[in-house]
Amino acid sequence: MRRELPFLLPFLRRHSAAYVMGSVCVVASLFLKLRIPALLKDAFDVLESRGPRGREEVFTIVLWIGGYSLATALVRTTSRLLVLGSSRRLAHDLRAELFEHLTRLAPSFFVRNPAGQIMSRFLNDMQNVQGLVGPVILYLAEVLTLYLIAIPMMAAIEPTLTLLALAPFPFFLYASRRIAVRIQEGSRAAQNCLGEISARVDESLNGQAVIKTLTLEEAVSERFDAHCGRYRSLNLAVTRKRALLIGLMVGLASLSTLVVLLVGIGRVVPAGAQGFTLGSMFSLLFYLGMLTSPTRTLGFVISSVKRGTAALGRLREILDSEVVLADPPGGPPWPRVGPGAVELRGLTVRHAPLAEQPHLSGSRPRSLGDEARADRGRVVLDDVSLTVPAGSTLGIVGHTGAGKTTLVRAVAGLQEVERGQVFVDGVDVNDLRPEDLRAAVGFVSQDAFLFSLSLAENVAYGRPDAPRESIARAAALARLEEDLDQLPDGLDSLLGERGVNLSGGQRQRAALARALLLDAPILILDDPLSAVDAHTAEEILAGLASYCAGRTTLLVAHRLATLRHADRIVVLAEGRVGESGTHAELLADGGTYADLWERQARREAAREEG
Amino acid sequence: MARLFPRDGAVGRAVDLRLLRRLWPFVRPQRGLILASLALLLTTSAAALAMTWVVMLIIERHVEGDSSEGLGVLLAWFAALALFEMLGRALGTWTVDVAGQNALLGLRSTLFRHLQALSSAFHDRTPTGRVVGRVTTDIEALQEMFSSGVVTVLGDVIFLCATVALLFTLHWQLTLAVLVVVPLLIGLTLWMRVRVRAAYADMIDSRSRLNAFLHEHIVGMAVVQMFTRERRVRSAFGGISGDMRDAQLRSVSWESVLSASTELLSHLTVALILAYGGSLLLGESLATGLTLAALFAFIDYMRKFFVPLNDLSLKVTVMQSAMTAAERIFHLLDHDDFIPAPKSVVPLPAARGAIAFRGVTFGYDPAEPVLRDVSFEVAPGERVAIVGATGGGKTTLLKLLTRLYDVGEGSITLDGVDVRDYALSELRSRIGIVPQDVFLFGGDVLHNVRLGHPEISEAEARAAADRLHLDQVVARFPLGYHEPVRERGANLSSGERQLIAFARVLAVAPAVLALDEATSQVDTRTEHLLQDALHDLTRERTSLIIAHRLSTIRDVDRILVIANGRLIEQGTHEELLRAGGAYRRLNELQFVSDR
Repeated sequence: MRRELPFLLPFLRRHSAAYVMGSVCVVASLFLKLRIPALLKDAFDVLESRGPRGREEVFTIVLWIGGYSLATALVRTTSRLLVLGSSRRLAHDLRAELFEHLTRLAPSFFVRNPAGQIMSRFLNDMQNVQGLVGPVILYLAEVLTLYLIAIPMMAAIEPTLTLLALAPFPFFLYASRRIAVRIQEGSRAAQNCLGEISARVDESLNGQAVIKTLTLEEAVSERFDAHCGRYRSLNLAVTRKRALLIGLMVGLASLSTLVVLLVGIGRVVPAGAQGFTLGSMFSLLFYLGMLTSPTRTLGFVISSVKRGTAALGRLREILDSEVVLADPPGGPPWPRVGPGAVELRGLTVRHAPLAEQPHLSGSRPRSLGDEARADRGRVVLDDVSLTVPAGSTLGIVGHTGAGKTTLVRAVAGLQEVERGQVFVDGVDVNDLRPEDLRAAVGFVSQDAFLFSLSLAENVAYGRPDAPRESIARAAALARLEEDLDQLPDGLDSLLGERGVNLSGGQRQRAALARALLLDAPILILDDPLSAVDAHTAEEILAGLASYCAGRTTLLVAHRLATLRHADRIVVLAEGRVGESGTHAELLADGGTYADLWERQARREAAREEG
Repeated sequence: MARLFPRDGAVGRAVDLRLLRRLWPFVRPQRGLILASLALLLTTSAAALAMTWVVMLIIERHVEGDSSEGLGVLLAWFAALALFEMLGRALGTWTVDVAGQNALLGLRSTLFRHLQALSSAFHDRTPTGRVVGRVTTDIEALQEMFSSGVVTVLGDVIFLCATVALLFTLHWQLTLAVLVVVPLLIGLTLWMRVRVRAAYADMIDSRSRLNAFLHEHIVGMAVVQMFTRERRVRSAFGGISGDMRDAQLRSVSWESVLSASTELLSHLTVALILAYGGSLLLGESLATGLTLAALFAFIDYMRKFFVPLNDLSLKVTVMQSAMTAAERIFHLLDHDDFIPAPKSVVPLPAARGAIAFRGVTFGYDPAEPVLRDVSFEVAPGERVAIVGATGGGKTTLLKLLTRLYDVGEGSITLDGVDVRDYALSELRSRIGIVPQDVFLFGGDVLHNVRLGHPEISEAEARAAADRLHLDQVVARFPLGYHEPVRERGANLSSGERQLIAFARVLAVAPAVLALDEATSQVDTRTEHLLQDALHDLTRERTSLIIAHRLSTIRDVDRILVIANGRLIEQGTHEELLRAGGAYRRLNELQFVSDR
């Protein structure tokens, strides 16, 4: 709490006027409301004493009650609008701030933390924080003020009786708080279980083809039923506690009435005399009625404070994640990327062991046991040095896991690297502004991620104001033209989430077009056409020859034939540069590359014979 | 942005007999529990009413009157009734919730099994997000119907009637006067609830838009950053988040007004009782029979009367969302897009793996056939490759063979029996398909090989995996075969995922093995691992191999060339080359491009 609140202060300050006004209204509305039982006492006294002007007096009191009720309703509505409204506005500010921070986090953050985890920060935790700064503050203020005002008023009527009637309250408060904590814990467990159920359904739907062809329907259904059974028992555990709390609440209300009757009956004096009249007893009962139900909610509110601050802590975890893409120190003018010469000097990238990687709490894989602790990390790239002159083409070959993708990502600024290892036009990438580096690199990765925008908007993602002709030209370069006829609105067709209504090959070509439109000095193609058939892929790459002329191009490929014309080819093996040279040189060396080439050529030769 | 995330459903009626009738089979087994909780509700309500009566008697006899006899008995009654009410309320809450949990457990399970049974045609055209919502959110809305006490709303109605009757015996004129408030309260709360609910629906809608936007951009953040779109994306997010805030503000406003005005009404009722009752009491004739204690009882009864009345409007909205949810659930359950079961079960021949397509025509949309009059036969143990351009219908052949879809015209037989005459599970267990896109489930590597298949022992699964040299791959994982697979297999390479898919099919030991571009994503080293194993595996059984890269299928027994949904050529590699048709052209194209 002490650590979390200062973090919230700037946000609270923005809405401080509303909060202060809201609190004033809370106090005012309670003052007004608590006058009503006192007026009731007066009314009963008048009725009991049957004075000559009784009728007029009662009417006056009734009018007062009406007035107070109306005023209470107005002030109370205002207080809620102010406090609850501010909490919604504050939540919006906080969401915007969080999202802005997310856009600044380095890519590795998103690799380490599953999307579901980050989403849950935005949804569940935000919900709890919003509760904390809205309803929770409101109820706490209301209940505390209620006690502060009501108890003296009751004591003024009859101190001993008040003390006796309120005696069970602290015990009840303690019990209800404990139960509330357990209810909330139980609800959270149930909620998690529901999340699991939802994941199972999602999985069974996405995996339908597998489930059907392997006839797993019964097996997955049984697994699902087991989850549902667990969910049921978790829910019932919560219900048991809820029932207990309701029972206690009902009991408390009756108990305090019983105490008032038991002790009060003997003390009643007739109206007119000074002291405890029948009207006093009635008003005491009304006051008690007003206190019991907020006391029940208090238990929940107090445990929500804990939950809210914990959620706040988790939100801070995101805001405190340090791997932020910030402008390099020193301030402008920042160095600019020129023609795009790339140089690696002993580039070494080591993935930290699982146990050491900074994770958002809760996002660590569950089975992280002794084995994972024994994981000492993995060297992905080991002392790689390379020079790619501006305007030349580098081909990169190697097995899965050899470090090809990490290498190109390092150049594109998508992989954090140590100072002094990666240079673009002689400038350390760490000294470049991230946006400058990225503007200089057109990057196409293996998985072509598209947004639910139109195809044209996706192609123009990096240059939203690109003229229509440029978009069409980029699409043509990526051989998207023929596919446009199949789409309902051609380039303006809306894509589903992640481009679901395109085939894998179409997505990849759209992603390629997107990068080409950037018109950047450096072009990085990381196996960009794996889902496109070999023939078309070859045509596309051949068509890019003139586009690539004058650009620095890094091309990762599985099929060696694609790379033959590269100015230089490196073979990566286990994170090191195994061989390097032109196609002809590498063949002459007779190493891994020559071997691979031989194998691929043999297939072709065999075909030739046929 | 808004156009991309359409709204999800509208508000329905509160009571729909048709839907309730359909819910009944699930609720019926719980009727004992529901009746019990109804009984508890009625008796505890009666106890609550009696308690106020006892207080009234105590005051009348022992304060207004002066007798001290019998006070102890009355107080003891009060205590006993209080204890009964306490236990009854707790138990009633519990029983009705148990009933709900039990009923919905059954419904959820039925729904899930129904989903598994629905055809691929259904799954292919239905967005998963919506369906997941049916099984989770919508069922929760029905659960709310139980826990909020809608099921026992009859008890509330009886309670209200009983209270009114009691008040009439106490003082009928005053009762009539006070009841004026009731229609006002019901009208006001219903009118406001509708607004609260509309605002709430807006809020839910904006929240799901926010979720969709967030999820898309968290997953695609690398692309956002790569193309320096941060600023635009931020302002788009700000817009959506602002919409959500505004919807929340509307809903907060209505709720605040609603809760304040119900409180106002209850205070005004007290004022009314005092004004009218007071003037009656002060009237000269004492014949009205109204005492101070009765006046107090009146106020207390009205307070108790207001509680279920207030809840009633809340229950109407709970009921509305429950009905909407039920409507959607049953709509889903009404889909009977099943692959039809055989009318008579044919005694099954031993699995050999002979396949015959005879005049098969099929289209996902019958107006646009994907396959036209395709006929061919595959002998047991034969290795047949299927080639042709993308979209030519190659994968569809496999979908028809495993009855993910049924043929439009013509027939397909496996081992001489029409595939439609097999029990589905029998048919599918004879055919193993390795797809291009591997789908992995949550769980560890071994689970993904076995997939909970009851017939496959752990040893068999491991044996299948080892045969594909998966053991060499998992040796690199800290937990070996028990390495957890992350969401969609994110921690595995595409080659590793592919190996798992192979192992999972082999563990079933099918008579027919079908590879749908299964090696296209496999890198050279993994392909090497696979090569030997594949050679053996395809030799042991009938194999259908779909391939883009013709070099990989040179040594099959026969090649089928499919173009525009027709089988245009078939023969061995050499025969087809000699024939100089489509295959030869395909081959030359690839050869040129490979050079």
